[in-house]
Amino acid sequence: MTEASVKFSRRAKGKRPQFFDSPETDQMMTFIIELTTEVSVLSERLNTVERLLDTRGTISREDIERYRPDEEAEAERVQSRKALIERVFRMHGDQ
Amino acid sequence: MPSGLTGGEQAPSVDAVYHPTHDESARQGFVAALRAFTGRDMRDKLADHYHTRVLPGVERAGSTAPETGRDIEKLMAPVPYYRFYSAMRYNAQEMMYQSVLDPVERVAGEMIAIGRNIAGRRPTGGTLTLDPHLELPRYVTALDVHLAPGSFHREYVADDLSQGAMLAYGSKVGLGGGVHREADLGAVGNSIGFWLTKKYPQFAPRRMLDVGTQSGKNLFGYLDHYPDAEAHGVDVSAPMLRYGHARAEHLGKVVHFSQQNAESLSYPDGFFDLIVSSFFFHEVPVAVSRKILQECRRLLAPGGITVHMELPSHSDCSPWENFDWDWDAKYNNEPYYMKFRSQDFSDLLEQAGFARQTCFSTVIPNLETTSEADYARYLSGDLPPLKHGRGGWFVFGARREA
Repeated sequence: MTEASVKFSRRAKGKRPQFFDSPETDQMMTFIIELTTEVSVLSERLNTVERLLDTRGTISREDIERYRPDEEAEAERVQSRKALIERVFRMHGDQ
Repeated sequence: MPSGLTGGEQAPSVDAVYHPTHDESARQGFVAALRAFTGRDMRDKLADHYHTRVLPGVERAGSTAPETGRDIEKLMAPVPYYRFYSAMRYNAQEMMYQSVLDPVERVAGEMIAIGRNIAGRRPTGGTLTLDPHLELPRYVTALDVHLAPGSFHREYVADDLSQGAMLAYGSKVGLGGGVHREADLGAVGNSIGFWLTKKYPQFAPRRMLDVGTQSGKNLFGYLDHYPDAEAHGVDVSAPMLRYGHARAEHLGKVVHFSQQNAESLSYPDGFFDLIVSSFFFHEVPVAVSRKILQECRRLLAPGGITVHMELPSHSDCSPWENFDWDWDAKYNNEPYYMKFRSQDFSDLLEQAGFARQTCFSTVIPNLETTSEADYARYLSGDLPPLKHGRGGWFVFGARREA
């Protein structure tokens, strides 16, 4: 039997709230948060490459895909993600 | 091998074919961090800002202190930090599901094939009863709850269970379940089950029912404490039940899943000794809650217990707590949430036919975050009152007279 193929809906049904005075600002927030996410993804990929190269002379893309962070590497990533969020979303004032 | 399997063969796992790529895992990890940052760090700072700046300002101006969450919402709406908090929390919530759509979609066909195979063999002995003619209530389909595209019910192809998998993995991202943490999605069932064994040591349910069971994860928790009980779960959503059935059969948990609307169930009077739900009632209109509680009363055998984990009612919380909880009602597509929280749950139970003196509401320890020593202190009454969502779960319920 051929496997069924699913194409998920990408948008949640319901009115999107507006938190700022202009909807453009709300949209910009999404852009910034998504972009920050991609920076984090990229830096973790680089970290994977560095960690793999610490142990051997050459690596393949498959090695990167197969890599699973150990406890120590995962703990470091958890810290880095939080630190990135705190740097990028630095509030003016003392909040 | 899990007990209860027949034929010496364990059912394959639908979850085993789910493999996010390196970058998808990294993205999910970051979304988990965003969720924690907005839902904990920013939320705490917002509370601090309100109590140290906004509220003293109101008092200085000689105005009356806000009495409801809505009063506070009016004060907070123009505060920039509140706007950033809301925008970031909303996006983080949305991204939780967005981050699992691609990896689930890629293997959905494979998962469905595995589910179909398991449903045909039932190696553990559980059942899956679907009703293709069941009409989904409007309160289920009107909005995509929790900002999950497709909400609890969407089906894309025949025998589809992908929505169940998508919601389970998305929730795991939300709970911070990374590669090393198997976030336990059945923590509520486990906590209430354990609490029941302590509070009612003689109570031994023969059959139990979970209302709005989704993929039955909470029943797994109850089964750990009542392994001899026959476990039944109802939900209106076929994809959730199919996913739950496939998981239960793989994990060796005997569960009977049935697609039904809890407003009117097919079981005979007095069929169950224990009827439970988790985070369920606030997703349905109050009028529907009343019907479901009447069904709970009808279905309970004498001496049977019904217990539901929920959000605490408005009257049990401070104005700030109400403002904080009700954020989800407005921004997480949960339109019935505030109306439900404005009810007195003992009144609801009494109106459904339970005797007032058997009704209870309390906050019990979250078993996952409570040490054995603290649990002992809780039982002896020496632990300070617990807060829902911070080490505790709010529950309400009643016992049918013997």
